[in-house]
Amino acid sequence: MSIPAKSGSTRQKPHSGGKLRNRFEMMDAVLLVILTVWALIILLPFISVVAASFSTHKEYLETPLLLFPTRPTLENYKMLLADGRILIGYRTTLLILALGMPINMFLTTSVAYALSRPAFPFKKVFLYGILFTMLFNGGIVPMYLLMMELHLTNSIWSVIFAYGINTFYLIIMRNYFISLPDSLIESAKLDGAGEWTILFRIVLPLSMPIIATVILFYSVDRWNEWFNAMVFLRSNNMVPLQLVLRSMVIDASASKSLAATQAVVTKSFSDGIKMAGVVATILPVMCVFPFLQKYFVKGIMIGAVKA
Amino acid sequence: MLHKTGAAGPSLWTRIYKNKEIYFLLSFGIVWYLVFSYIPMYGLTLAFKEYKASLGIFGSPWVGFENYKYVFQDKDFMRAVFRTLQINAGRMIFQFPFPIIFALMINELRLGRYKKVLQSVYTFPHFLSWIIVASILINVLGQNGMVNAVIRLFGGESVSFLGTPKLFQPLVYITEIWKSAGWSAIIYMATISGIDQEQYEAAEIDGASRLQRILHITLPGIRGTITVMFILAVGNLMTAGFDQIFNISNPATSKVAETLDMYIYRVTFQSSSDLSFSSAVSLFKSVINFALLLFADKTIKLIGGEGLFA
Repeated sequence: MSIPAKSGSTRQKPHSGGKLRNRFEMMDAVLLVILTVWALIILLPFISVVAASFSTHKEYLETPLLLFPTRPTLENYKMLLADGRILIGYRTTLLILALGMPINMFLTTSVAYALSRPAFPFKKVFLYGILFTMLFNGGIVPMYLLMMELHLTNSIWSVIFAYGINTFYLIIMRNYFISLPDSLIESAKLDGAGEWTILFRIVLPLSMPIIATVILFYSVDRWNEWFNAMVFLRSNNMVPLQLVLRSMVIDASASKSLAATQAVVTKSFSDGIKMAGVVATILPVMCVFPFLQKYFVKGIMIGAVKA
Repeated sequence: MLHKTGAAGPSLWTRIYKNKEIYFLLSFGIVWYLVFSYIPMYGLTLAFKEYKASLGIFGSPWVGFENYKYVFQDKDFMRAVFRTLQINAGRMIFQFPFPIIFALMINELRLGRYKKVLQSVYTFPHFLSWIIVASILINVLGQNGMVNAVIRLFGGESVSFLGTPKLFQPLVYITEIWKSAGWSAIIYMATISGIDQEQYEAAEIDGASRLQRILHITLPGIRGTITVMFILAVGNLMTAGFDQIFNISNPATSKVAETLDMYIYRVTFQSSSDLSFSSAVSLFKSVINFALLLFADKTIKLIGGEGLFA
């Protein structure tokens, strides 16, 4: 998110203070320090977690400010795998991701495209009906009852359908579609192309930044899915990764759980194994994050600014 | 908007038929919204019914405001409302300005490449769940954690950050800032990048200092965005970040952590739950939030700002 317009336009006007801007003032130094410290405050906890996950229990207890293990070990990860719950977590979460994300994309893209088309009867009814859901929702109680009446509780589909369309992503995508040049679509129409052809042949290829962004957003959301699973799924064989982590770290650190969370038996683990669990849960997000960075600037800006 | 619906135009049916493909594309999403958004909304009518599992949402008998009698008599409910408002007031004061200040600072930083690295670091925690963040907190703020190690290094005594009720609210604000200030700053930065650059150049020629430029150009430039974010925050006064509070609270802090959402969760999923009662509380929450949003929007418009709804 650097701001190219600024430096670009100053360079065009050599008088107006290209020199002034290049001078390193006191303020720059202060800003640099504050912002760097803030970055460290965010980074250090991660480093500490990774270090703990690779340390022996003895070293972890004896070194107060552990940022780098002297004798790195994979013991914690071995124990984590031996426990096996993390594998159930991975399996469930990957299933939710593999089934859920494509459905999210299909529902979101089709509605976003339809609502980006020029006036058709009842367009406003649909649009405002959808926007209204951002302001008002039923909440968890009726949702729970609905899932029971649909006989979806304890089925992975409850988690998948409970989160079908994120209206915010829908709006961003629609705005992106609207920002595409009209002439392209109009000329395709004159050539006799139907809406499906236009969507797949013209609009989608031109919208790769926003498609990629929304795919990544939905993927991260699915990866982080836990609340619906906690409420709708009650089987020990179907626990998403986040809830496995929760039962290992959070429930275990509290002597008794606040409410009826998953009925997973809480065994107590060493801190090293817990942190290995944290690393195993973060790692995939870390891997897609650079791509997220790359796309969301382009995608979101165009989508959001034109709102 | 392209069509003029006059007597001369094609009839409604012709136009619907002409757009049949669009309706087909819409249908999947609309069905989803109806089933998983609008039916649950209708489900909130349970607030005025006596829920009987055998009769379902639709068949249960109406009881008027009966459920609300019990809701408003419940001391825990009143406490939860009060606590939610208190935490959110705190959020408005401590949390809300952070992304703005942050965006202004990042914008003023001149080292292009370093700036990008910093921004990646700032936005990353946003993509982690509160379960992960809470797990990290347990490690970092625990007895054996980094923060307490530093405190002991300077001769202090270790503090139980996560188990002290008094520290709970500051913990809520600080962890939220840690997780999402960088992300929230993006929307302000987007607005800043849209400000006309000539204004800055003109101000520079006129000899305005950097601080003056921030105060007189950048801040007014993002006022609209700040207003929108503020209205949205007011519209969430009754919601206090369930994911966060559910995960960073524990039995030691459960008393000070019971916000309205936590209360709804507890009464819904406890062993002998009364779903009509929970629905009544949920509806109360949603209606108040919605009313507050409209109220904030109207007020902002009255004092001459741009509102949320055109």
